[in-house]
Amino acid sequence: MGTGSNGELKYEISQNAYIKLVLHSLRHKTAAVNGVLIGRISPKDDGVVEISDSVPLFHSNLALLPPLEISLIMIEEHYVAQGLSIVGYFHANERFDDVELCGVAKNIGDHISRYFPQAPILLLNNKKLEALSKGKERSPVMQLCVKDASKNWRVVGADGGSKLLLKEPSANVVLSDYITSEKWKDVTDVDDHLDDVTKDWLNPGLFN
Amino acid sequence: MVTKTEETELNQLENQVENGGGGVWEYLSLVRKLKVRRSEIVLKHGLSILNDPGKRSALGPDEWTLYEQVAIAAMDCQSLNVAQNCIKVLKKKFPESKRVGKLEALLLEAKGMWEEAEKAYTSLLEDNPLDQVIHKRKVAMAKAQGKPSLAIEHLNKYLEVFMADHDAWRELAEIYVSLQMYKQAAFCYEELILTQPTLPLYHLAYADVLYTIGGLENLIAARKYYAATIDLTGGKSTRALLGICLCGSAIAQLSKGRNKEDKDMAAPELQSLAATALEREYKQKAPAKLNLLSSALRSLKISS
Repeated sequence: MGTGSNGELKYEISQNAYIKLVLHSLRHKTAAVNGVLIGRISPKDDGVVEISDSVPLFHSNLALLPPLEISLIMIEEHYVAQGLSIVGYFHANERFDDVELCGVAKNIGDHISRYFPQAPILLLNNKKLEALSKGKERSPVMQLCVKDASKNWRVVGADGGSKLLLKEPSANVVLSDYITSEKWKDVTDVDDHLDDVTKDWLNPGLFN
Repeated sequence: MVTKTEETELNQLENQVENGGGGVWEYLSLVRKLKVRRSEIVLKHGLSILNDPGKRSALGPDEWTLYEQVAIAAMDCQSLNVAQNCIKVLKKKFPESKRVGKLEALLLEAKGMWEEAEKAYTSLLEDNPLDQVIHKRKVAMAKAQGKPSLAIEHLNKYLEVFMADHDAWRELAEIYVSLQMYKQAAFCYEELILTQPTLPLYHLAYADVLYTIGGLENLIAARKYYAATIDLTGGKSTRALLGICLCGSAIAQLSKGRNKEDKDMAAPELQSLAATALEREYKQKAPAKLNLLSSALRSLKISS
């Protein structure tokens, strides 16, 4: 599949992968955070990228290479046994009303797309996240960005688009519950792990 | 900086307060003393004292301190009405106070009324040009408006006067990093290392920046600062140990095909030492991740 047709691809994100990333950004409300998407091309339909898991990466100095390099190696290493790999990047900006994809996010997205050309960037949409508690928002609170034919990152679909799908339609309801019960306090990222290796970035107990 | 003991004390007290076990005033005082940011809890419990006339008057003159503390916490939580009411009470009690004036300016800022806030801060600075807090508010305001270059400009001006303010240097470094202006960030960390040579944090951050810039010379320097970090932490910095391994691998790749002297730069024994220390640490504290670590370290070695 040519990279020029990324706009035609569909991305289906599982509830756990989705919720983990949003909770991570809520844990560090005053900072920019990022994470990676884990998955594969769907074996049934090569027009679909299945995002089955995610790993929260950092909440400080996102633009420094050493922690990023080491975490990407370890994460790839962990998921390769399950036939999965890093298939995209998640970014949440520091400021509430900042809807731009910053240089750092693009660079990391570029890096990931060298290994997985269909890789998207998901950018947290704060307005939608805020509206979650009030309304009946069914679509993801993330903005899908893909690389176009001229290798620039561009937003797909004006309203988040139907190209990014929640695998479980109930994901936003569950997310709202978790936000109310302050589950975001339990999320561990790679930053936490590097400060104290007993903390696990796989977040094994998060959804129990 | 908050020590481990202080943090434990704070968390215990916070737990007690959250579970209705009393000690609210002690908790609020500790939050002020340690200058930590626990706005939601401060707002909830501080307000409950302020709303209870008996408890409030029992504080004596500390009542006003609490109004100020709750006002700031409320602004942090976007409870602007609460903040406004607190400030109103303070304004009535201290009509000429500059300290209340600061709160009023802060409220303008919280409401996003940037121009008005800017004006208020400027007039406060005319009265007291050396007020560090207000200078920092101007930096924060630039950041909040998504104008990092203006924040940098303010910080640089501020640092011309208050050269010894470590937090400001660190803030400047982090803004530079976020804009991927690594050379400028490196300069800030150099300043920090010069003034506080025994703090491992700055050595580590400097090494990370140098590694990010890349190139043989920077990688070799980065490795030195990772080594200093390990030295200063008594071998307890996972990040620095991993840094040594990354540098070893990157240096070996860059010096491939060069003469023997350059090849020796890779110092593979240093990388092995760091790897052993890491494996020991993971074996002890995170055995489930040991295999993962080992294969990651191996892939760094193979690639070098």
